[in-house]
Amino acid sequence: MAGMSDRRFPWLLAGPPALFLLLFFVLPNALLLTASAFKSDAQVLTNELSGESYAFIFGKALYRAAIYRTFWIGAAVGALVVLLSYPVAFFLTRTRSRWKGWLIALILAPLLASVVVRTYGWWVLLNREGAINGALLGLGVIDEPLVMLPSSGAIVVGLVHALLPFGVLTIMGVLAGLNPNLERAAMSLGASSARTFVEVTLPLSMSGVLAAFLLAFSLAISAYATPTILGGPATETLATLIYKFMVSLVDWGVGSALGTVLIVVSLLLLWLGTRLGARRAGPGAA
Amino acid sequence: MSGWGGLRAMVAAVYLFALGPIVITATVSFNAANQSRFPPLGFSLRWWAEALGPRWLGPLLFSVELATAASVLAVLAGFPLAYAVARRQFPGRDFLAALSLGPLALPALVTGIGLLQMLHLAGLEALFGLPALVLGHLVICLPFAVRTIGVSLLSIPGNAEQAAMSLGASPFTAFREVTLPLVKSGVFAGASFAFVQSFTDYSISLFLARPGSSPITVTILSFLEYGFAPTLAAVAVLTMIVPIVLIGAVQRFFRVGDFLYETRH
Repeated sequence: MAGMSDRRFPWLLAGPPALFLLLFFVLPNALLLTASAFKSDAQVLTNELSGESYAFIFGKALYRAAIYRTFWIGAAVGALVVLLSYPVAFFLTRTRSRWKGWLIALILAPLLASVVVRTYGWWVLLNREGAINGALLGLGVIDEPLVMLPSSGAIVVGLVHALLPFGVLTIMGVLAGLNPNLERAAMSLGASSARTFVEVTLPLSMSGVLAAFLLAFSLAISAYATPTILGGPATETLATLIYKFMVSLVDWGVGSALGTVLIVVSLLLLWLGTRLGARRAGPGAA
Repeated sequence: MSGWGGLRAMVAAVYLFALGPIVITATVSFNAANQSRFPPLGFSLRWWAEALGPRWLGPLLFSVELATAASVLAVLAGFPLAYAVARRQFPGRDFLAALSLGPLALPALVTGIGLLQMLHLAGLEALFGLPALVLGHLVICLPFAVRTIGVSLLSIPGNAEQAAMSLGASPFTAFREVTLPLVKSGVFAGASFAFVQSFTDYSISLFLARPGSSPITVTILSFLEYGFAPTLAAVAVLTMIVPIVLIGAVQRFFRVGDFLYETRH
């Protein structure tokens, strides 16, 4: 641009927002990593390097179980989100229905409501006097109400529901970008539509499947509201423990160590996704 | 084709799963009994009367204010960042691109506790409530603004501004008259996504709110500790109306839906 150094101008523009992110995003996360490695006395960090926060969370069976639970919930949610989103994404990219636009809007609309609000709907369905027990008792299928809350299974259902739109968006992004001639070529060579799907479409869309799985997994392991509403003391996860240690027990060392576990796993997933060629989509994906 | 029919049945089941709980929540809000029951016993508007009282409207308006502030700031801060990354080649460009999307890569919950500790250590406890929430929400909203504005900047031919300048426009006029109108949809899409991100967030707010300055999501979460009154169903429906009306209005003029996918270049 005339009169201004081409090297400095971009930094003049981007400098202030970049500085903001360094101060209020990078610094607090770095501080957390640091806090996890120092001895802490409630809210006061001492400058004594110590692994005691990590020894504490990995030393107690209760916390190890919570970490393990968090990851299997994440994996189950990731797999189920993929299984439910794929047919929807496939349908939405192929349908010639005049309702297509509305159908896309309808499956994405839940993103406009907070997970807190959407999980409440599951509580209404699953609780002792809830809709499912009401229906089953009414039909005479059961004599006693089923106890579905609190449970890890309910948490999985709630999270799949919460993260489904992300799965649909991600897989749709990939399916919509496939070259339709590849499928036509397979069919013209005599492949059935089922075989074309299994041998052409599915392998070509694996980057989307993987991306959807990893995205749902990483969002599920850091979710707090769903395990709080649909879970209980026996179904603690990393996120509910973090809240407990940061807010109720005010033990920042342990809280930070738990947060660090989440950061490390999230970065690992991101790295894995890039390595395996996962394509992440979402609002404004580029 | 029977394969297509089977697919339609599967898709219908997924839609039922996705929308059923939301419909049920809405129905429960009209329950006459003091239970979160479905099907409801009778019809009553008393939960709605309660939901529309100051106890819930206060936090709801607080959330609207917070999301408005966060999304306006996200666009103001995100535009120059996106412009530099999308339109310029310079040392440090890749770092800026990664930094601006960073908050999407790390869990917001962890950024929330990081900010909580940082503000405490810096002796800035006075910021808890609206100021800290605006800071935290700006962090998680910025990537949405940068991404959408970046996508729309990339869709403009690189020489459009040069063409205007060769016809005598100043760089600023070229930007204002050529670039800005072309990225208008991107800006509104970015602002809308940022608004929704802020409005539906609880992960950051959980640690930066204070009693009296607390968004609706956190207010609902703390209320849930005491029970599940049908009022909550009415409040839940109220919180869904705000972003639906907003996105519906913006979509009418700017087609922000185009930015949801199929935006690779």
